[in-house]
Amino acid sequence: MVLNGWEAVFFWVFSVAALVAGLLTIMARNAVHSALFLISSLVSVAALFILLGAEFIAGVQILVYVGGVMVLFLFVIMLVNVGAEERGREPIFNHTAQVTAAVIFGLLLAGGLVYALNQGYKGMQASDRDKIAAITDRREAEQQNMPSAATGTFRITKDTERVGGSLYRYASLPFEIASVLLLVAIIGSVMLARTVKQEASADDVDPEVLKEAIAAEPELAKLESANE
Amino acid sequence: MSSLLTPIFALLLQDESLGWLQRIGLGLKHPDLSKFLVIGALLFIIGVAGVLTRRNIIVIFMSIELILNAANLNFIAFSRYLHDTGSPSAVAGQVFTVFIIVVAAAEAAIGLGIVIALYRNKETIWADEIDLLKW
Repeated sequence: MVLNGWEAVFFWVFSVAALVAGLLTIMARNAVHSALFLISSLVSVAALFILLGAEFIAGVQILVYVGGVMVLFLFVIMLVNVGAEERGREPIFNHTAQVTAAVIFGLLLAGGLVYALNQGYKGMQASDRDKIAAITDRREAEQQNMPSAATGTFRITKDTERVGGSLYRYASLPFEIASVLLLVAIIGSVMLARTVKQEASADDVDPEVLKEAIAAEPELAKLESANE
Repeated sequence: MSSLLTPIFALLLQDESLGWLQRIGLGLKHPDLSKFLVIGALLFIIGVAGVLTRRNIIVIFMSIELILNAANLNFIAFSRYLHDTGSPSAVAGQVFTVFIIVVAAAEAAIGLGIVIALYRNKETIWADEIDLLKW
């Protein structure tokens, strides 16, 4: 797997964009800015997925992450009050010692990982070189007979077909488990985010808690008596 | 294409014959699997640093999304590499990535539900002020 020409240029553009946007995500003072930088980072990584020939995953990334999860994040940021943070009264980072330790160990981890990845990749490359060359030759021969729109960098891949096929052929049980997981997440988040008022109107609240809540807000007594 | 690729592989392996500057230039011109892995590792470290240093619990959740995304990038890069070596199970990495995205969506929904419940009860989103379980 070696990228050439414009693919290499786009690789560097999008990876630098992903890293810079990721850094700005964790350094922005305003949480809304953090969310917007995270969106740019996720879109850049989706572009890297396209460079790697995983168009389906790139589409899922943009639809689910950017279209679903990040909109949820933005709504929650609007629901909670971040005014103090924006005006600069509250420090956005933890204690200095903790931040220093985290940055030092992060840099050590980065150095170690980059060194280890390069060393390990050299060995992998040496052992897989013949296999890759043989496969490249075979695919090259297959592409000789195709129309020019279906070859080279501009080919339309069968990625979605392959992913869908193996998702249902080899991973149908995890697929069903994932749907149950999403159902649990929906019900759990609805239950977690209810107010005392909503719990009282569904007659689903501890009597002691309800007594305290009624003392603070007499309106709730009406809801409770309506239930009985 | 292969006539173009084979000398590149040969060049990348002949470390002794090239100066380090030439090797870096070659790496910049022809990014390969290791470059994707390095980008994934750096994104992961940025996410870890965000989790460890930020006080805003929503930004901590965003950093967790960054970490999961770095893992996805590694999965897809290895999937492409295995595809190029002709492995029949190359697409498994992409299938796994779909499940990671599902788990990330579920985690974000539950986590943000907890944040909203917490904000109602404690009126704070600072992670260091949420210490009900602290002795």
